[in-house]
Amino acid sequence: MSSTLRPILLVEDSPKDIELTLAALAKCQLANAIDVVRDGVEALDYLHARGTFEGRNTGEPSVVLLDLKLPRVDGLEVLEAIKNDPHLRQIPVVMLTSSREERDLVTSYRLGVNAFVVKPVGFQAFLEAIQDIGVFWAILNEPPPHRLSGVARDEV
Amino acid sequence: MPTDNRPDLTTCDREPIHLPGSIQPHGVLFALADGRIVEAASANAAPLIGGPVSDACGRPLEAVFEGLDPAHLDALMGPIPADRAVRLGPVRFGRPNSGSDAARTERGAVFDVLAHRSGGLTLLELETIEPDSPSPEAADDPVAALVGRLQQTRRAGEAFADVAAVIRAVCGFDRVLIYRFDETWSGTVIAEDRNDTLPSYMDLRFPASDIPAQARDLYRRNRVRQIPDADYAPVPILGRWPEPIDLSNAVLRSVSPVHVEYMRNMGTAASMSVSILTEGRLWGLIACHNRLAKVVPPAIRATCDLVAQILAMRIAVEDVHGDAADRVTVQASHARLLTAMARATDFTAGLESAPDALLGLTRAEGAAIVHEGKVVRVGATPDPWQVQRIIGWLMSRGGEDLFATASLVEEMPGAEAFADVASGVVAVSLSRVHASHILWFRSEVVRTVTWGGDPRKQFEPIGPDTRISPRKSFEAWRQTVRATSRPWTPAEIDAARSLRQAVVEIVLKRAEELAALTEDLQRSNRELEAFSYSISHDLRAPFRHIVGYAELLSERYGPQFDDKGRHYLANITESAQTAGKLVDDLLHFSQLGRVQILPVSIDMDRLVAEVVRSLAFETRDRPITWRIDPLPPATGDASLIRQVVFNLIGNAVKYTRGKEPAEIAVRGRQTVGENGAETIFEIEDNGIGFDMTYADKLFQVFQRLNRAEAFEGTGIGLALVRRIVDRHGGRTLAFGEIGKGATFTFSLPAGPGAATRGDA
Repeated sequence: MSSTLRPILLVEDSPKDIELTLAALAKCQLANAIDVVRDGVEALDYLHARGTFEGRNTGEPSVVLLDLKLPRVDGLEVLEAIKNDPHLRQIPVVMLTSSREERDLVTSYRLGVNAFVVKPVGFQAFLEAIQDIGVFWAILNEPPPHRLSGVARDEV
Repeated sequence: MPTDNRPDLTTCDREPIHLPGSIQPHGVLFALADGRIVEAASANAAPLIGGPVSDACGRPLEAVFEGLDPAHLDALMGPIPADRAVRLGPVRFGRPNSGSDAARTERGAVFDVLAHRSGGLTLLELETIEPDSPSPEAADDPVAALVGRLQQTRRAGEAFADVAAVIRAVCGFDRVLIYRFDETWSGTVIAEDRNDTLPSYMDLRFPASDIPAQARDLYRRNRVRQIPDADYAPVPILGRWPEPIDLSNAVLRSVSPVHVEYMRNMGTAASMSVSILTEGRLWGLIACHNRLAKVVPPAIRATCDLVAQILAMRIAVEDVHGDAADRVTVQASHARLLTAMARATDFTAGLESAPDALLGLTRAEGAAIVHEGKVVRVGATPDPWQVQRIIGWLMSRGGEDLFATASLVEEMPGAEAFADVASGVVAVSLSRVHASHILWFRSEVVRTVTWGGDPRKQFEPIGPDTRISPRKSFEAWRQTVRATSRPWTPAEIDAARSLRQAVVEIVLKRAEELAALTEDLQRSNRELEAFSYSISHDLRAPFRHIVGYAELLSERYGPQFDDKGRHYLANITESAQTAGKLVDDLLHFSQLGRVQILPVSIDMDRLVAEVVRSLAFETRDRPITWRIDPLPPATGDASLIRQVVFNLIGNAVKYTRGKEPAEIAVRGRQTVGENGAETIFEIEDNGIGFDMTYADKLFQVFQRLNRAEAFEGTGIGLALVRRIVDRHGGRTLAFGEIGKGATFTFSLPAGPGAATRGDA
């Protein structure tokens, strides 16, 4: 059952990037809620519905937009944790990054990233990239069967 | 049961000869205890004693002989040396106190007497003074003259014949030889003086076994020996002394039967030899032979000994001088090599740059330096692969620091193949782990050695016992020695060793410097990577933000701005975008140094067509005449080569702006030049061109030849082109003329089949 629109999780520490990304997503006119967390620890707490997200029942995000460089636990570590967790593995993860570094790209794909987007300098290009992602992952991509986060917590 | 009856060639080395218990008959021996009590005497003392030897035993000497000079008796009671005999001079032994007859003894007899200590005894050796023997004084003049000539002669070698002649004149032998030992104790006759009675032995070589080790030891301690008559009957020593008497230092000592037989086989009845000692070592002998029996009195023997020792000193001085001169020459070469190595980037190049010094160091004719698989050769040497074989063999021996031989074939199997240039080899190993060596070579010196008899047939067994007989034939036996070089002197070998030390120190020092440098490089490389990573992240983000906010601003509030405000906003966006692109281009450029190139065959017709299509946006509304020839395929990394073509065609499009019509031509061809087979591509335009003065600057990062506002761009495009082409092993060229156009050319090595140049 996929009638409920599940949120998009944006993991990003830069307030400016958050603002610009939200502006871009707003232009997509998506109905999905957009949840924002500021670092890797928060992202994992959100996904496991623990800590400050204890009792969250907004369901699994339809897509995680994950910045590479994050305080505390960085993007690659979050990606690895998601893809190594049997209950989170199916959540699509899109790496959003400033980096053109080849090794980040290679590592991301090795860890099972679903897409890797280098944020373009031009806003127009950025807008298009974010819109493509939003439309594809939040609307077109058939999400995996819905699972309540409470169940996940019992199983962890 | 079969027994091996063949004599061991070293049998002589074991036969005891210093305790024969008998003397030669040309003298009389008394053994005295406490300086004067007769304990034993040779059997031939009986006539002198006037009765059997036993009559004298236990009695003091002055009781046996009347009228002994008390001075002589006193001398006997004083300290007598053991290592050499003291000459008491002519001593009259008076009529015996008992006994009778013998006219001689009535008058008493005068003997030349030598005394020395042996064990607990004083040995007195009495030699008859023959009335016809040459007087010792007669020798004074020729010897004095000889000493004068020895001082004046330039080289000791020139004096050998002179010495032999003087010795013969003084002693009256048929033949006098100067005989020199080599390192193996074989000996060569280097000078001779003779009459026609005995054959010449000049230049003959005698094997080491002719003068066995213990004889040589005796010759060293006891410098003058004589055998007046090889056919003598040994005279036993009789007496009451309970132990055998050590006659090592007795001049009358009876000699080994082997030696006597050797003399007989030589055809000589009498012989005398005088040792030539330098620095305590037996350098050689003055060997005197007479066909008939002959006695040399003690005084003349002493003169001969004096001559031999003066000659020895002359030789020693020359050895020291010669060696010193050698070492000075060698030091000069060594110093030159050190300077050369200090100047060069590595020791191999340094040594190679001073070939004369390298060869002069060991007086070699060729040298090879083998390091890191490379063979560098100087002068006359074997082929590189033969040098490698020598190295392989040296390593298989366990890789000693230094190896030297004058005849490599005797040591290394298969070395005959290059014996002409490398019979003599000195090799120093520079590393215990790697094959790193310096070798010096000397060519083969073919020479004929004349042996005194066949050295392989020295001994013939006589009878079933273990006695051996020295060879009977002294006929010259010639042997051609091949595959042997001039021997290496100690100074030359030391020079090789000290050069090894110097090189090892230099190599070690260089290795340390290199390690430090590598560490520095790695650190700065890591810093550079961290730097580009942080640019990639941190510098890019603010530009992105500026562009983002400027766009949002323009979107939302743009209508409220006046034209000037919108112009400012547009400039902000454009500048930030340019800055962002610059960062991207720079990163791209730096990454190019690290990416791996994956060469494939590229269809250049399709690639160029695709690039032209992708420029459609820029070329819209522009009259461009494209002249694209059919192109040969290229070999390279497809995406990188696309970048090259894109940048060059993009430039052509950009710099023909305003030309009507613009003309852009693309050509390609395959050639074989000095760099092997390659494919060359040209992109020509009729644009603004450039001044050839700045042709080199074109390909450098951030070099622009035009004002920025005239033509957009970051100034990285051509630098990227050159870098990519360089990484492929190709070349880039540019030709231009201001206002007329430019031609850019790049070449790529042809595919793997054709790229291995020189093999086909």
